[in-house]
Amino acid sequence: MSQNKILVGLGVVFTLVMMSIFTVSETEKAIKFKFGEIVASDYKPGLHFKIPFINNVKKFDSRILTLDSTPERFLTAEKKNVIVDSFVKWRIGDVTTFYTSVAGDTYQANVRLDQIIKDAFRSEFSKRDIKQLVSTDRSVVREALIANTASAAAKLGIDIVDVQVKRIDLPKEVSQSVYSRMEAERARVAREFRSQGSEAAERVRADADKQKEIILANAYRDAEVTKGQGDATASEIYAKAYGQDVEFYAFYRSMAAYKETFANSANLMVTEPDSDFFKYFKQMK
Amino acid sequence: MSWNEPGGDKNKDPWSGRNEENGPPDLDEAIRTLQDKLGGLFGGNKGGDGNDDNSPPSLKGLGFLAIGAIVLWGASGFYVVDEGNRGVELRFGKYVATTQPGLNWKFPAPIESVEIVNISQVRSLEVGYRSGAGSKGSVAQEALMLTKDENIVDVRLAVQYQVNDAKKYLFNILNQTATLKQVTESVERGVVGGNTMDFALTEGRSQIVADIKTEIQQVMDSYDSGIIITSVNLQDAQPPDQVQSAFEDAIKAREDKQRLINEAEAYANDIVPKARGAAARLMQESEGYKSRIISAAEGDVSRFTQILKEYKKAPEVTRQRIYLDTLESVMSGTDTVMVDVKGGNNLLYLPLDKLGAKSKAVNKLVNTYPSDPTVNQPFNAINTPRPSSRGRTERGR
Repeated sequence: MSQNKILVGLGVVFTLVMMSIFTVSETEKAIKFKFGEIVASDYKPGLHFKIPFINNVKKFDSRILTLDSTPERFLTAEKKNVIVDSFVKWRIGDVTTFYTSVAGDTYQANVRLDQIIKDAFRSEFSKRDIKQLVSTDRSVVREALIANTASAAAKLGIDIVDVQVKRIDLPKEVSQSVYSRMEAERARVAREFRSQGSEAAERVRADADKQKEIILANAYRDAEVTKGQGDATASEIYAKAYGQDVEFYAFYRSMAAYKETFANSANLMVTEPDSDFFKYFKQMK
Repeated sequence: MSWNEPGGDKNKDPWSGRNEENGPPDLDEAIRTLQDKLGGLFGGNKGGDGNDDNSPPSLKGLGFLAIGAIVLWGASGFYVVDEGNRGVELRFGKYVATTQPGLNWKFPAPIESVEIVNISQVRSLEVGYRSGAGSKGSVAQEALMLTKDENIVDVRLAVQYQVNDAKKYLFNILNQTATLKQVTESVERGVVGGNTMDFALTEGRSQIVADIKTEIQQVMDSYDSGIIITSVNLQDAQPPDQVQSAFEDAIKAREDKQRLINEAEAYANDIVPKARGAAARLMQESEGYKSRIISAAEGDVSRFTQILKEYKKAPEVTRQRIYLDTLESVMSGTDTVMVDVKGGNNLLYLPLDKLGAKSKAVNKLVNTYPSDPTVNQPFNAINTPRPSSRGRTERGR
């Protein structure tokens, strides 16, 4: 009997103990309620106590959570539509406010946060053109977004850790014209390359032709000079020798010319016996 | 006030039988402490192993049973951390220690729990593409991005990372992998968007990869993620499919340019040396001509001078002899027909057949050795090729 009583007693004690403790993990925040009224929220991870039936406890995730919003169109300063995909990293800052403002519901928090962020995005994007958004002003936009949303988020009990623009895309129709422009640009580059090629090739050929002309002309000149030197030297030699006896040279040269002229036996000569040519011939008779 | 309520004194914690900084607790000591502390709970005496004869035997059995259960329970606190892993011990959800590889002991559930995190494994993340069987490769939504000059490029990245702080990795971010991916996409677009397309596609690749890596690390550090980026690999950076052909054509054009230049250089390499060759030939020929003409002159003159010398010794005789010699040589070789015009002989016979038969040789004046400048070829008879016209026709092809 006493044995059973002890067991029952132990069971009751154990149940009561289990009902009066709760743990808070490193990844959690907790709120303790007393009949619906918040009595404590500042819990560090570990083991904590509550009064069974009077207190109840709600736990929330204390880690960094993500609002990965759906891509949305924003208008830029130059009135271009861009599709922006962004995400927000946030964590519960003040758990009490978080509970009262969004009933501790992460989904609801995300919806509310999304509205705040989108609004901030709209105002930041309308101040800048695409180029600034895509390249130069990225971090400025990011900081502005964090700064502008922090107070509104704090009202939801939310700490904004980071706001990042994931994608800034052009709408499909615009993308298509970007592609067309890129193609035209490449076509321009291609044509430029080809004409540069032709240009360079023409230069090389023209230069080669020029070199060829110069080489040949110089060679012709030098060759003529050399030949002239030869002719001059030969003339000088002839003049020096023949000048010794001009009359004999005339005779001697005539004779040579006769020989040359009649060297071929095929020559047929019709002549007068009385001609000067045969003066000696007649005398021989 | 409970012993570990916020702001409470830590030393009151009945479970901290050891310091957080200490390694795994000594097993015997831990069990002893446990027994001491739990001993009172079951109402037993100090050495309450059933030695007390006054207690009912059933209670004694219960005591044994309880001890057995406690030993078993205690033994369930052993766990093994493999090499390359770390164990993260939580006591009632509160972080107490990160344990090293080996056999470890924790207070058994539900007091303590342990999470094991692999810190040596290199994890990887693909952004812009999916590798592996059955994948389509590029994921346009992730891969296409705007550059500074408002062009669109297709970038595929592989990020490799490790967990370098198991505690931070476990407790700071919900869904670390998704977070890393979001951050990577964002940073990647930021870096690529800060550069021009040409730079991103060509010489800027390594620069861009380095920037992306640094920035991802910065952002992940700002989240206290416990993740270290070991490498970022640019799998591919390409113009998008839609304009691929135009880009290829531009690359071809670059090759075409080089080809045209090479062809022209081939032409130049062909004609310039040939022209040099022709020039050398002209020079050599002119030298040859010069030597020939001078030598011939010297020869002619020498011959003349020698005869002149003899002629001066006996002018009449020599003159007569030369004249007759010449006549002889001329007449002997010639078919000469003498016509005495004054005699009035009307019958004239010309050997026309002979004339015909030998006609081929008629006037074949062989002059291979012009020994007098007056017999020379005209100077302009040098056959100079006209190269320019040939060059032009080749180019026209």
